[in-house]
Amino acid sequence: MPPTSRPLACWKSLLRSSRHQKATARSLTTYHHSKPASQTPITLPWNALNATPHVNRKIKTYPPPPSPAAKFKEPIKDLHEAQIAVLDPTGARSSLFSKSNPEAARVGDILLVRLKTGDPFAGVCINIRRRGVDTGILLRNELTRVGVEMWFKIYSPNVEGIEVVQRAAKRARRARLTYLRKPKHDMGSVQNIVLQYQRSRSAIQGGGQNDRRGNSRKKGKARR
Amino acid sequence: MAPKLPTSWAQLPPTFLLPDALLPLIAKRGVKYGWSTAPPRNKHARFNQPTQGIPKPTTGPAAALARKAFTLPLRTGALAVKKGMTAIYDAESGKRTACTVLQFDRVQVVAHKTRAQHGYFAVQVGSGWKHESNVTRPLLGHFAQAGVSPKRFMAEFRVKDENGLIPVGQILGPEWFIEGQFVDARADSRGMGWAGGMKKWGWSGQPASHGNSKTHRAMGSSGASQGSGSRVHPGKKMPGRMGGHQVTTQNIKVLKIDAEKGLVVLSGCIPGPDGCTVKIQDALKKPWPKVPEAVLSGSQVIEPLKAMA
Repeated sequence: MPPTSRPLACWKSLLRSSRHQKATARSLTTYHHSKPASQTPITLPWNALNATPHVNRKIKTYPPPPSPAAKFKEPIKDLHEAQIAVLDPTGARSSLFSKSNPEAARVGDILLVRLKTGDPFAGVCINIRRRGVDTGILLRNELTRVGVEMWFKIYSPNVEGIEVVQRAAKRARRARLTYLRKPKHDMGSVQNIVLQYQRSRSAIQGGGQNDRRGNSRKKGKARR
Repeated sequence: MAPKLPTSWAQLPPTFLLPDALLPLIAKRGVKYGWSTAPPRNKHARFNQPTQGIPKPTTGPAAALARKAFTLPLRTGALAVKKGMTAIYDAESGKRTACTVLQFDRVQVVAHKTRAQHGYFAVQVGSGWKHESNVTRPLLGHFAQAGVSPKRFMAEFRVKDENGLIPVGQILGPEWFIEGQFVDARADSRGMGWAGGMKKWGWSGQPASHGNSKTHRAMGSSGASQGSGSRVHPGKKMPGRMGGHQVTTQNIKVLKIDAEKGLVVLSGCIPGPDGCTVKIQDALKKPWPKVPEAVLSGSQVIEPLKAMA
């Protein structure tokens, strides 16, 4: 009886035959049947070279999609230009602090900043921080005998106008005149100079009309 | 009917009845410790039936996903390059807002992570471009399978469920985010190098005088332990490398989107130096933004990529 026909009924014989076969299988060997030479393909060196090897097969790569980043490499510059075009359409603010403008305001000048809301502030410019639309100036003055420094953003819509009250006698040889904070160099209050300037301005403009709004944009050049 | 016994070579008919081809070339030993695809015969399995009214397990993959369901974003984030900071003025009110400018560079979906295969849902996103000669073959195959070009930067963004798995190859532009929405931005912070305890952890150092000698900025005690300070507790703040690790800034407002130039302008500052890669995703602690369907479907997928995906 073949052992697989009724396995549950003949466990003993099944196991016995299995045991016997295991013993034979341990020593089982096979013969090598060599194929006739006519059937084996001849592998010549040039054939092996021409065939595409399984490893090192070229993997397909895809081209990258178009990149806006490669086209617009300086997005912050573009943002600055776009905003300056809106905030300073006449270009007066830009030219007042432009490096290419020889008549531009420099550190050491006394500047007067007029604001939309609040009193105007005047002081010595001790720092010009050029950052595109974020450009700011630092003015120093003395109010009630206390040194006061104020930052103003030149493109801010809250800044109505900036006027050059007095030019520095000599070109400053520093970019930032922080030494003006020291008692030895402190200019003190510039209030008198500013008042004198305002009086002379109103005299030129013809007494009664004290409208500074009209030429708020041309301060630096109008002065000279 | 008699149960079927597994057929192995032991049950095969005697060798002289078998053809040559069926015989193993090398003599095999019997498999003593095998494996089975059948369900494990656990003695206690009958007690853990889901129909028996026992509560759902609080551990395991399903429970972990359920816990995360509330805080996982519905849609993927994107990679961007930090270009720098500037300010934006509101022309009417004159209000100035400091902002950070991010730029998208060929951001594409490269792969998905699924619950079935990986245990969670996530979208793998790549950005930039890398020459193929600089990419290893396993990665090249990965990109080829996705039908996208080799990417310079890769990141994974977890999403709540399979609805967040947008098709592989879809291009994510800045319009993926909406003006006015809030995002979380994460990037590797500026590396400060090796820093002392005062700089790294804000300790106050030691007095300049009162008998102090040459230890003004050193850390003081590293803490007591087991009565006599026999060891330093794990996690003790110490001097060492500062920065260079990932930092997340949450709830940043998107001020502006420029699809043409690939720009996203975020309010305020975000971690990392200029030029670093930033991961941005919908803010976790704000309501999810209402996104138009056209944005999610990615109407500007390039044709060949779409076909591949």
